[in-house]
Parts: sequence; structure tokens; C-alpha cells
Amino acid sequence: MAATNDTKAKLLRGVVQDNVNIVQGVRTKRAVKRKLSLRYWLSAGIGMAGLVYIAIPSQVVSTANTSLTAAIGTATFANIAQTPESSAPLDSPRPLDKNAVPLAIKRIVIDPGHGGEPGAVSESGLMEKEITLDVALRLRRLMANEPYEVLLTRQTDQLVPLDKRVAFANENKGDLFVSIHVNSMEPKTLRGLETYYVGPTDDPATLRLASIENKDSGYSLADYKKILEKIYVDARHDESRTLAKTIQAQLHHSLKSVNPRLENRGVKTAPFVVLIGTQMPAILVEVSALSNEEEVKLLTKENYRENIALALVQGIKNYARNFNVPERKGS
Amino acid sequence: MEESNEPLCVGIDLGTSRSSISASNGERHVIDSYVGWPLDMVARKIVKKSVLVGREALDSRSMLDLRRPLERGIMKEGSEKDQEAVQEILKHLINLAGIKQKGKNKSKVRAVVGVPAEAFRVSRQNLRNTMEGIADSVMLVSEPFAVAYGLEALLHALVIDIGAGTADFCVMQGRYPTEDDQRTLSSAGDSIDEQLEKLIREHYPEAQFSVHMIRQWKERFSFVGEPKDRIIVTAPVKGKVTDLDITAEIRAACESILPPICETLQDILSKVEPDFQDRVRNNVILAGGSSMITGLTDAVQKSLAELGGGRATVVKDPVFAGSDGGLAIARDASSSDWEKLSL
Repeated sequence: MAATNDTKAKLLRGVVQDNVNIVQGVRTKRAVKRKLSLRYWLSAGIGMAGLVYIAIPSQVVSTANTSLTAAIGTATFANIAQTPESSAPLDSPRPLDKNAVPLAIKRIVIDPGHGGEPGAVSESGLMEKEITLDVALRLRRLMANEPYEVLLTRQTDQLVPLDKRVAFANENKGDLFVSIHVNSMEPKTLRGLETYYVGPTDDPATLRLASIENKDSGYSLADYKKILEKIYVDARHDESRTLAKTIQAQLHHSLKSVNPRLENRGVKTAPFVVLIGTQMPAILVEVSALSNEEEVKLLTKENYRENIALALVQGIKNYARNFNVPERKGS
Repeated sequence: MEESNEPLCVGIDLGTSRSSISASNGERHVIDSYVGWPLDMVARKIVKKSVLVGREALDSRSMLDLRRPLERGIMKEGSEKDQEAVQEILKHLINLAGIKQKGKNKSKVRAVVGVPAEAFRVSRQNLRNTMEGIADSVMLVSEPFAVAYGLEALLHALVIDIGAGTADFCVMQGRYPTEDDQRTLSSAGDSIDEQLEKLIREHYPEAQFSVHMIRQWKERFSFVGEPKDRIIVTAPVKGKVTDLDITAEIRAACESILPPICETLQDILSKVEPDFQDRVRNNVILAGGSSMITGLTDAVQKSLAELGGGRATVVKDPVFAGSDGGLAIARDASSSDWEKLSL
């Protein structure tokens, strides 16, 4: 009897601690949302892209009055003008030299894919929306002691249209945008990680994936292509590619040790709406594949989802560490 | 009834198909997990209520916006109406238990609610939020753990709680179960319904029947193994009441959950320390509504035989085993524990 009571006391301590963890794990402030259309943000995005170029393409100069203008300030633009690169021809855009301006990564917008609607669903019924939100909440908790503010585009299982996610990231002036998804692939033996940044693609599988992820956005593929022709050469493009490479490398490195058969499917470009409309370096990560039974088994384990979140945190930190560099001597 | 203002403990098994409550005042109730709101003023006038819960809702379903708000053992999310429906079920259960929710003598409620073993943290948090205004403090525990705790099967036992939405496994090893000790499958009562509906439609393409009829047939006739009698039900075919022999369909649908359950059983047993596997194999406890499928115990024991033999038993009271276990946890937890988990 005494042994049973001792065991019960031990079990109760476990129950209480588990519940305290649930309560503490999600106690964070709510972000404010404002309703703005995707078209608004796309035009603002194109404008910002023009501004952060050292050489500003003439066709986007008219949209120069964006939030980033205020953030950097006129003094910064004066500094840019004094860099050696400023003598380059106006019609040949180049990536921003981040040493030239004191930019820093401070606010990170995490976008848990889907919600309300399930996204991909495994044969056993595991839903993409559950995994993406779970990983995003873990990521936010893990970032709590880091010098970054983390905002989520959704904090519950709710339907948030893609244009609202874009608007949220832009309105809150995110410095990075990371959209978390879980793939579904044919054949089902495929399992792996892949990370996307904005850009055109001729790969039929990627186009199919983009059309699924962009569902209900109101834009056709032809629309995306037109938008991309204007936007994919902007400053974000290079930074998004760097961010994608950094995160993909970290995810693969971290997860390979617990999932040795994980395939590194690399960094790719695709016309996802959330990547087109956001005004900051933005990526979309497919962290696993719900079409593969072995991956599903791993995803049902808290440890594995925690590992994914940890790898994303480390990837973001690696990128931010390289980005948050001091100004060049003499600048 | 306990004295007013004295904390009242309840265990709630919030099930996809049925929900039960066991309270420290001795009340125990079970309801169908359905909620319905009258579709229009006429319906409102006939049903004479603004919201109906349980069997009452099911019986008046033609006049209601009827919801079955739980999916795979957790709240169906993304729909405010379904969340409201879960609140109605919880309020109704508390009300049935005779607990005052309003007024000066409002009882303080400490609730333990069972959730699937592998429920996501966000789902558990949503459920906690839904309990606001219904209970004062809430603990969420995995359903098979609650069953084990209530039965005091705390050491070398394996509980399989097979409900409508999920089949949950939990190995008890004298410590709070870790993730490796628990599994959740979506092969459970609802997947039998889906399979049964598909098979009957294939066999009798012109027969007319609803999902509610399918559930009734399953609950009445479910079995695995060799049939003892033919199962004959009636359903309209082109408007004419017709006898349908659904013996083969019932058997095939019920047996469809056996492979994943037996495979998971073997997998989870293989994770137990080798020294104790024999004891756990001989202490397999089946709970939940679907544990009442005739022949299920034999089928599980057959699966255990492949591992060297074992014994499976069904709990005495599958309907209340979860809520009784929740109540036992609620009673045993200290006031300081409850304070940490107040809403």
C-alpha cells in the first residue's frame, strides 16, 4: 500500500509538471494584425526592393516611400552614396553590401504553414497544420532567451489567408520571414528536407507544390510569373538565398544524426505567395514529408519536433551572426 | 452533494463519440458528444431550447445545426462553432453532475480531462482555454494513463484505450509515462464506421442509410473472428424496407483495426526492458467503447502469443474507466498542485 502511494505521488508530480509546462510553453504576448491586401504589400515590397539596392532601377523609384526608408534614415542613404560601388551604372542592380549600413536582425516572423485547413495529411491522419504550429511554438520558446523578438503569423489552429500572413510580416517590420511546412511527395519512399526562396522554377514538382501552397490566394501562376519578373532580382533575393542555404545546411546537419536516412534535397526557388509578398529575406522550409511512413513516425515524437525547432533556431542564429556584423573600418 | 464552496473534483473523459464525467459528489454521467443549435425560429419553438446536447441533440438532428465537435479525441479546431460546442458539452456534463456554475454558492471545480496520449501541446492548450469559466483549475492527462491510475495498474501494465477517434497505448512502469511509453493511433471506432459504410455501400449500392445507422449497427453487432450468427439489419432500398445481411461487412470493418493495433502493441512492448516484458504482456488492459467489440480480447491475446504469450482483459466499466481515473487523480492532487494550474 505504501509503495502504491509512493508511486502515485511520483506519478502526480509528473502530471503536474507536464501541465505546468503546457501552461508556460505558450504564455506569450499576442501580435497585432491589420487587414491589408496582398496587392498593397506586393507593390510596397517592390518599392522596398528598389530602395535597398545601391543602384536603384529607374522603374521602381516612384515607390520609394516605404517603412524601410524611415528605419534606415537619410543619413544611412548618404553613407551608401559614399561607398565605392555607388559609381556603378544605375541599370545594373547589385546586392546590398551589408557592411555599409548598420542593419541587424532583431525581429523574426515565423509562419506555421496551413491552419484551419489541414495541409498535407499522412495515411495515419497526422496533419501538416499540427506539425507546423507545434514546431513554430517550440521555436518561439527556444528563442525566448535570445536577443530576437519572434512573432507568429498564427498561434492557434486558425485559417489565416496567405495575404494576411504577408501583411502581418510586413506590418510588423520583420527582419526575417521563415515559413514552416511539411511536404507530401511521390513516390512515398522520398523523405527529405528542402528550403525555398523566391524565384522562378521550371521544375514540374516544384510548380505543383507551389500551386498547392498558394491555393486560395487569388493569383494564377501567370500572375506569379509576372510579379517574379519584377521582384526576383531584388536585394532580398540574395539574402533569402543565403538564409535558405544556412538553414537548410543546419537542419540537415542537426537532423541527420537522429534521422540518418534523411535526404538533403537542397535549396530551390519557387513562386510561393508568402515569399513574393514579404519585404524581408524570406524562406519556406519543408522540414519533412508526411507521405513517408518513417518520417511520420518521427514527427509524432516530441523529441524529433524539438530537434527540428532547435535546428531552425540554430540556422537563424548562424545567419543573423553573419548578418549582424559591425560596420567596416573607416565607414 | 458536498458543501458549497468546497472544491469539487471531477474526472472527464471527453470522447469523440461519448463523453463521461465522474464527480467527487458521487455523480456519474455519460452523454453522446453531439451539440445542436436550432436551425431557425420554427425549430427553436419546437425544441424549446437554444442549444441541445447529447442524445437529445441527436434525436432532433433534422431541426438542428448538429455538431460532433471532437475529432481524433481532440477539439476540432479552426471552427469557433465547434469550440463553442465543446464548451456546451463540458458545461452540460458539469451541470449533470449537479455542480453549481453560477451564483454565490458556485462550486470551485478541479477538473482532470483525458486527452489522446500523443495530443499536441497546442491542442492541449486549446482545450485548457476552452475550460475557462467552466472549471477553476484543469489538468490534462493522457486517457490510458487516467485509466491505469484509476485501476492502480501503475507497474508493469499496458493500457490500450480504444475510443471512437483514437486508440491510445500507455505502458505503466511505475513512473510518469514518457513519449516512448505512449502511442496514439487513429485506427479506432470512427475508422470502423468509415470502413463499414464503404463496404455496405459496395454490397448494397441502392440501400439508403445514414452514418448514425452505421454507428448503431456497429455498436450493436461489432465482432472480430468467427461469427456466431448472421447479422441482419433493415434499411430502405428504393423506399422499401429491406433486410440486409451485413455479417461479412461488420467483421471486415472491425478487423480492419486489428493490424495497426497489434503492430503497435508489439512495437511498444519491444521498448519495455527485457526483464519486464513478460509481466507487461500478462497485464494488458483494454478500455474505451471499442474495447467492447466481441472477440477483441482473443484477437489481442493471439497477437501476444506471437511474442511468447500474454493475457488481455477488458476493464469492468469501459464507459467510466477514464473519467473514474481522472477523478482519482483530481482527488489525489494537492491544493498547491491545483493552484499552479488554475485558469
